[in-house]
Amino acid sequence: MLRNLLALRQIGQRTISTASRRHFKNKVPEKQKLFQEDDEIPLYLKGGVADALLYRATMILTVGGKAFGMFEGTAYAIYELAVASFPKKQE
Amino acid sequence: MTHQSHAYHMVKPSPWPLTGALSALLMTSGLAMWFHFHSMTLLMLGLLTNTLTMYQWWRDVTRESTYQGHHTPPVQKGLRYGMILFITSEVFFFAGFFWAFYHSSLAPTPQLGGHWPPTGITPLNPLEVPLLNTSVLLASGVSITWAHHSLMENNRNQMIQALLITILLGLYFTLLQASEYFEAPFTISDGIYGSTFFVATGFHGLHVIIGSTFLTICFIRQLMFHFTSKHHFGFEAAAWYWHFVDVVWLFLYVSIYWWGS
Repeated sequence: MLRNLLALRQIGQRTISTASRRHFKNKVPEKQKLFQEDDEIPLYLKGGVADALLYRATMILTVGGKAFGMFEGTAYAIYELAVASFPKKQE
Repeated sequence: MTHQSHAYHMVKPSPWPLTGALSALLMTSGLAMWFHFHSMTLLMLGLLTNTLTMYQWWRDVTRESTYQGHHTPPVQKGLRYGMILFITSEVFFFAGFFWAFYHSSLAPTPQLGGHWPPTGITPLNPLEVPLLNTSVLLASGVSITWAHHSLMENNRNQMIQALLITILLGLYFTLLQASEYFEAPFTISDGIYGSTFFVATGFHGLHVIIGSTFLTICFIRQLMFHFTSKHHFGFEAAAWYWHFVDVVWLFLYVSIYWWGS
């Protein structure tokens, strides 16, 4: 059993790389190739499908949010005007 | 295909300045809706779109630099100037709050009892948690310098360790300060003492959180092999910002916590 334990210890030591304990691989060269491709895709969409989804979501939320805000703000302004136009008398 | 014959970066059109401006509008009008009409929808939408903009804008900067190589030495020089000018503007931002503190504390009015701290205020003991906070931030200044030197000497593991220690110290400071806020015997509405104390330390705390976030991004980028021993301006910018945050705390500690108690 001690021999198994020693073997286990050797395997454990072998799997720890000198680069980092968490086995991160250097993917920078791949990314450099991807983002330098001569394909006219704008930078903010060049990463793939996730880019397009995130872009669309951001645009919808900002422009839609602006429309919503203007509506909400206008609605509230009119509401407050209406309340102010008919003063309540407290009994 | 034509190539440029100069070393500068002609940035391509991007939608993020527009979404950033719109998100700022949503945040400010959202604040008004929250303050006056008890609705947080617009504010939350503003914060979300602001976060989305920041993520994508800075993701694109990483793509332009690490992946496309646009950050040549002259470009980096410009970025250095930019970061220095930004930090300088933040110095002036804090100067205003220190001005307010000294204006009120150097000549306390009769309404306050003619002395500082004012009547009724029990200030926090500067030798307790505030002193611990000071040592935490000073230590984080040491660890971030260690991280930088490790990076320049190509010592990957040590850089990762030292940067992690820095981030953890920043988190520790934030937690300690949050508990101090919770336990403090005075509030922001306790006269001019409360106002100056919580606005100055509050904005500082916000900057600690911003700095910690910036450092965390650098940590992730280091894990992904983005930095080289010669070229790592993102990390340097984060380190400068972090030292700035530390220095502001030292001024806060000496002025508000120590002299002001």
